[in-house]
Amino acid sequence: MKNLFRIARWEFVTRFRSRSFMFNTIVSPLLFTTVIMLPLLFFEHQPEQSTKLVGIIDLSGENIARDLQKELNRYYRLNNTSPEYMVLNVSVNNSEPYQEKLGEFREIQARRDSINQLYNQIKQQRTRYYQNTKLPNRTYLLQSSYKKLQQVREEKELVDIELSRFRTALDSVYKFEAQKMADSLIVSGVLNSYLIFDTDFKETGIIHYNSNNPGDFLDTARLEKILQAIIIKKRILGDNVERSKAAHWLRPIKLKKFRVQGGVQREWDFYIQFYGPLIGVFLLFMAIFTASGYIFSSVLMEKNNRVIEVLLSYATSQQLMGGKILGLGLLGLVQIFIWIVITLALAGANIIPVQKIDYLTINNALYFMLYFSLGFLFYGAIFITVGSVSANEYDAQQINQLLRTVAIFPALLSLMVLTEPNSLLIRILSYIPFLTPSFMIMRIPLSTTPITEDIYITTLIMFASIAVLMYLSGRIFRVATLMQGKKPTWSEIMRWVRAG
Amino acid sequence: MEEKLLEVQEVSKSFGEQQVIDKLSFRVKGGETFGLLGPNGAGKTTMMRMIMNIIRPDSGAILYNGEERRKIKGLHFGYLPEERGLYPRATVLEMLVYFGTLNNMARRKAEVEAIRYLDRLGMVEFTDSRVNQLSKGMQQKVQFVAAFLHDPDVLILDEPFAGLDPINQVVLQEILTEYKKKKRILIISTHQMEQAEKMCDHICLINQARVILDGRLSDLKKKYRENAYLIESDSPMDYLHEMKGIKILEEKNNAYKFAITDRSMTITSFFGLIKGKVKIRKFEIVEPSLHDIFIKMVQKESAGA
Ligand SMILES: Nc1ncnc2c1ncn2[C@@H]1O[C@H](COP(=O)(O)OP(=O)(O)OP(=O)(O)O)[C@@H](O)[C@H]1O
Ligand SMILES: [Mg+2]
Repeated sequence: MKNLFRIARWEFVTRFRSRSFMFNTIVSPLLFTTVIMLPLLFFEHQPEQSTKLVGIIDLSGENIARDLQKELNRYYRLNNTSPEYMVLNVSVNNSEPYQEKLGEFREIQARRDSINQLYNQIKQQRTRYYQNTKLPNRTYLLQSSYKKLQQVREEKELVDIELSRFRTALDSVYKFEAQKMADSLIVSGVLNSYLIFDTDFKETGIIHYNSNNPGDFLDTARLEKILQAIIIKKRILGDNVERSKAAHWLRPIKLKKFRVQGGVQREWDFYIQFYGPLIGVFLLFMAIFTASGYIFSSVLMEKNNRVIEVLLSYATSQQLMGGKILGLGLLGLVQIFIWIVITLALAGANIIPVQKIDYLTINNALYFMLYFSLGFLFYGAIFITVGSVSANEYDAQQINQLLRTVAIFPALLSLMVLTEPNSLLIRILSYIPFLTPSFMIMRIPLSTTPITEDIYITTLIMFASIAVLMYLSGRIFRVATLMQGKKPTWSEIMRWVRAG
Repeated sequence: MEEKLLEVQEVSKSFGEQQVIDKLSFRVKGGETFGLLGPNGAGKTTMMRMIMNIIRPDSGAILYNGEERRKIKGLHFGYLPEERGLYPRATVLEMLVYFGTLNNMARRKAEVEAIRYLDRLGMVEFTDSRVNQLSKGMQQKVQFVAAFLHDPDVLILDEPFAGLDPINQVVLQEILTEYKKKKRILIISTHQMEQAEKMCDHICLINQARVILDGRLSDLKKKYRENAYLIESDSPMDYLHEMKGIKILEEKNNAYKFAITDRSMTITSFFGLIKGKVKIRKFEIVEPSLHDIFIKMVQKESAGA
């Protein structure tokens, strides 16, 4: 028994002093947290750096730019309170192709006007003929003027069709020219984006958004929201509703987000709710795989170096296994303890807003240690077996890689866990011992109702699988570590298990 | 002081289908150096591992002073495995202290003893070096220290001389001679017959899982003596060829190895026959070397099998 503690001490001390422990405890988590928080920082701060220019191509003649500017100013301002967005009409009234087309359009317009005039003249003349019953050849005059009127009307209709056709053409030339110009403004960096309002945008509700980066959902979400309000207002006013009434109806709505838990209301923050548990999973994963990884490399190294033979001659294989598990398990707990101290320090320095993070509790810290211990014992037992059985480091590392991938898999489903931490699928998945620690460490802070039942169930399942694994690995370890060169077959392994 | 005794009784071990040890028995007395010899693959290492309780026999018993090996508590074993193994990244001293404490030594005591032995093996300046910075032979010496640092009751060395230079071989022999004086159990295996001849008091030769020769070295030598003699003089002694009752086995530079074939011929009568003819420089009874016995026995056994 004493030897177990001596072995534990040795494993603990040699690993604690190693550079890799330092790396896994401080550098890696720091790196991960930074990488995960970085986009967040950009996301929040970059837009506030300078005013953005938004171009407008307005084919509707509604003077949308003015409304848009007004609304944007109301909601979005930079720190120094100057507007965050500037709206700019992209006008191409002076461009040559447009002027040319406009000339033609005017010509037709003039022609239509003169035809209209003629038509009206004839109409008036006919009225006169009609009224003057004493006119000598009245019947003839009426008849011939009617023919003329008919002719002019036909001509008038043709001109009208031509004119409306020309108007569309003119619009599309305008649009084309304006878009050409706006594109070049985007490319040259003057504009951040531009919007196209077609003549019928009020009815269709469709507005084109053009930018280098249409995926920038912060800007698009804001514009969408504001345009929605503007268009609806226009529609309402179009139905002859009083201005003041419309303004009242359209008073903006803001969702204040709260979360209900144990009767206490707290403001809900997506980043804290999402990234917090994700960092938690990462840390748990780090802790489990740092410690069990050390078990693994230690078994592998002792086997390959044949120190194992010296060790087995001075200690039993149970002592050896037990010592490693104890020593490196403690090392893992020390690692977690270091993290707790760092968290407390950061909280003390007000770098972490603890009062906003309701899952930073002693209880949850204890759960963290519980799932660390379970995960460590589980993966540790697997690693002892794999390490003692595998014939070379390469094979062993492959299995190591595979197990790590399996264990981190729940992090990929973190969004699912966030939206519904207690869905049937997530519950079932968290009963699988390989996945239990990662899932549970996300579910505990995210679930709005306590999941004590699942904590009991998963702990039981883990305990049972650890017991089985430890039993098997104890039997395999002893025989397998003395083997050299070749990989044992499955039937051999089965025999060792039976023979003990 | 009571006599120490290690007994191996009808021990068998097989790996899968292969019978590596077949009902092997021998006894090792405290104070004698016991040599476990045999060709490659004979099963020496396997036998030693069983004595160390690293692997368990399939059947048979290993007893120390009548007590079963597996149940013994508080007895210290020292082992130099055939395949040396150390922690490459640990420093020499901390690793030796670790091994020492595994054998119930106090840390302080382990440290003192380790430094003492390292000094003796000419390695004090390396106490704080990392193991992987040492040469192969130096690592070997560290491994020795790990085996007898804790002054074990049973010391088992698997091929201790492999890879050591002559000076260190002598140092090691000295240490072992000292150890022997404590009347404890000492078992070594080696392929170097001169070493075995110099060191061992008792020989156990195993081949193909079985003991083929077991006994005190001096008894064995007597037993395998061929009744052969060596005579060397300052001038040729051609007449020996004609002499009745003897047979020349080898001759070289006025030295003749012969065997007495006639029972009536004695050494005294032989000397009577050659008296006054030459000046004799050397005369000795030819002892069979362990080397010869080994080869002869293994070949005989293999031919018979
Ligand atoms: N762990 C093991 N699993 C399977 N076979 C083994 C194992 N250890 C030894 N053997 C086999 O047992 C036989 C005896 O091996 P052992 O190492 O005891 O021989 P040895 O006498 O020490 O030989 P050498 O002089 O070459 O060291 C060999 O045929 C070897 O292949
Ligand atoms: Mg051997």
